[in-house]
Amino acid sequence: MGPLAVNEIISSNTNFFLAFVIGIGFGFVLEQSGFSSSRKLAGLFYGYDMVVLKVFFTGGVTAMLGLLFFSLFGWVDLNLVYVNPTFLTSAIVGGLIMGAGFIMGGFCPGTSFCGAAIGKLDAMIFIVGLFIGVYLFAFGYPLFETLYKSAPMGSPKISTMLDLSDGVFALILVVVAVGLFYGSEWVEKRFPREEY
Amino acid sequence: MKPLHYLTLVLVILALIIALVPQNTTRPYKLTAEQLLAEIRTGTQFVSPDEVADKIVQKDPSIQLIDVRNPREFDMFSLQGAINIPLQDILSENNFDILNQGTKMNIFYSNGSTEANEAWMLTRQLGYQNNYVLQGGLNYWMETILNPLKPESIISNDEIARYDFRKAASMALGGGDASSMAPASSPASATPKPGVVPVKKKKKASGGC
Repeated sequence: MGPLAVNEIISSNTNFFLAFVIGIGFGFVLEQSGFSSSRKLAGLFYGYDMVVLKVFFTGGVTAMLGLLFFSLFGWVDLNLVYVNPTFLTSAIVGGLIMGAGFIMGGFCPGTSFCGAAIGKLDAMIFIVGLFIGVYLFAFGYPLFETLYKSAPMGSPKISTMLDLSDGVFALILVVVAVGLFYGSEWVEKRFPREEY
Repeated sequence: MKPLHYLTLVLVILALIIALVPQNTTRPYKLTAEQLLAEIRTGTQFVSPDEVADKIVQKDPSIQLIDVRNPREFDMFSLQGAINIPLQDILSENNFDILNQGTKMNIFYSNGSTEANEAWMLTRQLGYQNNYVLQGGLNYWMETILNPLKPESIISNDEIARYDFRKAASMALGGGDASSMAPASSPASATPKPGVVPVKKKKKASGGC
């Protein structure tokens, strides 16, 4: 049955509309969880508030289990689900740049729009910076192209690399996530901050 | 209990279930586009008219001829023992048991081979087994089986044997009579000797089954 758009059960216009609705929902949840506050985001790096890690890990693990159950029930064909191809070098370099921007600016791209939506000036400045970065990359693309395209790995799955079934890998990841949840509770107690 | 404990409990139980059940590997579509293309290029789905004629004459119970033309054309002329499943009904649930089974060899045919090939591609892609296509369709059937051309006398014994077989099959399958109603008919070139009972030839190993 699924993916709905790939199997042409819904048109691509309906697909965009659903993405729009889900996007609004995503933004709403981000804002309600306090992700529009750059102090909360920076808390992840200083250890006084680990909610970002908890929310994103919960989201990822829930989506993973959901997809695996959908596949088990025959509701979605996982082979047809698009997976971004991995380019190892650019993933590492990009991750470092994004991490640095994250801790300096106090936002990630999604939460900066959340912050801007509720009128935060620093978030708006962050978006300006984000676009400067986008244009720099686009116009300087010939300079970055070799790096950008180096170490292509296709769309690998860690479960296949470790020769495990998807289900067993999911269980391991869930155990890791739960460990991180309790670990972050401990970290929050270790580095408390009264008001932020 | 703290919310974190609840979350942990639910996640771990679900993950345990998903780790213990076998992975669902069934897919609605069985072949990738590349695999299908490779099959089409090698033409494994084709069964030659001679082979089909031989099986009809032998009253081989293992084949099922399926006419994918419309019912009007089917009523005008059809091969012996054929059933009619028009192409537009190929996905109908009533035909599922006929098209997806492990015992008989289904052979699709149409006037040319386009419609029969379309039926084959659909069923192949759905993962159904034992579906084949009559090579060249009814037009080629008329040419080769019902109205075989006498080969030149210098031709090899093999060719002559094949001609004799075709003439015999034509006789058994009512050549000439049907040709007036059949598509792409041409006048019967040779009247087969009456009373010839086709002898089962030694079958050559060939693709198709």
